[in-house]
Amino acid sequence: MAVPEIFNTIEQSGISRWLRESQSIFGFYFILLFHTIGMSLVVGANAVVDLRILGVASDIPLQPLKRLFAIMWVGLGINVATGLLLLTAYPTKALTNPDFYVKLSFIGLAVYTMWRLNNEVFGDSSLSEAAMIAKGKVMARWSLIFWLGAVGAGRLLSETSRYFFYGHPAGG
Amino acid sequence: MNYAHLHLLLNHIPVIGSIVGLGLFLISFFGKNQDLRRASYIIFAAVALFTIPAFLSGFGAQQMIKGPGVSDDLVRRHESSALLSIWFMMATGTLALIGLWQAQKTSHPSRWNVAAVLIFSLLTAGLMARTGNTGGDIRHPEDQTGKASSGDRIVTEGPVGAFLRNFEPDPDKFSDAMTFSKWWWTFMMAMHFIGLILIVGTVGLLDIRIMGFLKQLPVAPLHRLLPWGLAGLGINIATGLMAFAGRPDNYIFSIAFWLKMLALMLLGLNAVAFYLTDIFGEVESLKAGDDAPISAKLVAASSLILWFAVITLGRYIQPLTDTLLGTN
Repeated sequence: MAVPEIFNTIEQSGISRWLRESQSIFGFYFILLFHTIGMSLVVGANAVVDLRILGVASDIPLQPLKRLFAIMWVGLGINVATGLLLLTAYPTKALTNPDFYVKLSFIGLAVYTMWRLNNEVFGDSSLSEAAMIAKGKVMARWSLIFWLGAVGAGRLLSETSRYFFYGHPAGG
Repeated sequence: MNYAHLHLLLNHIPVIGSIVGLGLFLISFFGKNQDLRRASYIIFAAVALFTIPAFLSGFGAQQMIKGPGVSDDLVRRHESSALLSIWFMMATGTLALIGLWQAQKTSHPSRWNVAAVLIFSLLTAGLMARTGNTGGDIRHPEDQTGKASSGDRIVTEGPVGAFLRNFEPDPDKFSDAMTFSKWWWTFMMAMHFIGLILIVGTVGLLDIRIMGFLKQLPVAPLHRLLPWGLAGLGINIATGLMAFAGRPDNYIFSIAFWLKMLALMLLGLNAVAFYLTDIFGEVESLKAGDDAPISAKLVAASSLILWFAVITLGRYIQPLTDTLLGTN
């Protein structure tokens, strides 16, 4: 399958080149740092809620953990923004890598699960704690699995790329 | 200051510390003294933490002293013994933390924990002594042969050394095992991220509660999440040490790596400030809505700042990978 020409156009743009080539400490690795911070916020906060629903530290009151969703959404926002910048830096490398779509699928499923937990379990303040747990148990389990998949697939990206740049196949 | 100095500064901590810890532990074991046992456990945990930079600085020192007058075989023998003893030190530190956690609830560690600490601390003290000895042979060959230089010494082992050599990994084989497969490397790195997530989710949550956010949450139950954070820390120390031993050159010349290790040691001191003062007792009793004292808020804030520094510096190891090259 031919690599779309648009990837080349993006790679040649000023912002893409700056992100890749700048020696500034606020260049590529700065974006990557905040992608990591965002990940630790969204996954860390979500994992704590999941674990609590699944019975860990069961004397933590469940309803107040609703506030953690704000942290999750902020973390997700950081990662959408930094993710788009990373994609601007290496469009061909990311979009020709099948693992990239695996990662995005896991993130999509994890975020959908997070949204459902937020709305269906924590959004209804009339629910008792037992009812919240009964409703959230399956979601919590899948949430952990999806986030593990997303982190694992993310870490695999650098090992599975087929192109480094437009017209430059990996391993060639 | 260079790696050799740093190594000399740190390398006595594991040897002496494991013996001091073992001594206190044995007295507490036979005297059935819980305070002394707690003290020995704290020493084991602290010594385990400081063993990490002692181990890491050895790789830098090795690069520096290479050359005539220093026996490669002796250096490799020392590295082998360190590659074995460090895992026992880490296991002893982990068991000590588990025991401290158990003692928090029931006022004493469980029987299996005491038995495990007994076995592992004995083995650790012995293996650390061996590591210290093999290290000393590199620079003090006159102790054994009267020669000032170890350059052409042939490594000879007593019966204990010969026996231990069967268990000491060959440094080259160990680093090859860490790097031969990109899948194994990726797995280690993914685990390192999962450990990071566990730490941020649990320790970070506790920190922000103490600082005054999420005040609806009582502190004591939140603190019960801590074993998950410590499990994350354990995963990250294990995967970190394995990655380091696999590709030491990626790390030892990066200023970001050493600053990250410094931040980790400071986090150890921060934990001391939290648990070994009145602060922990004060925050543990905080109910929903209660405000923490300012001292606790400061400790929580420095924990957050230091973890942020650890993540940041970790991310900058790679771009700063040769910042220290040629400075020694």
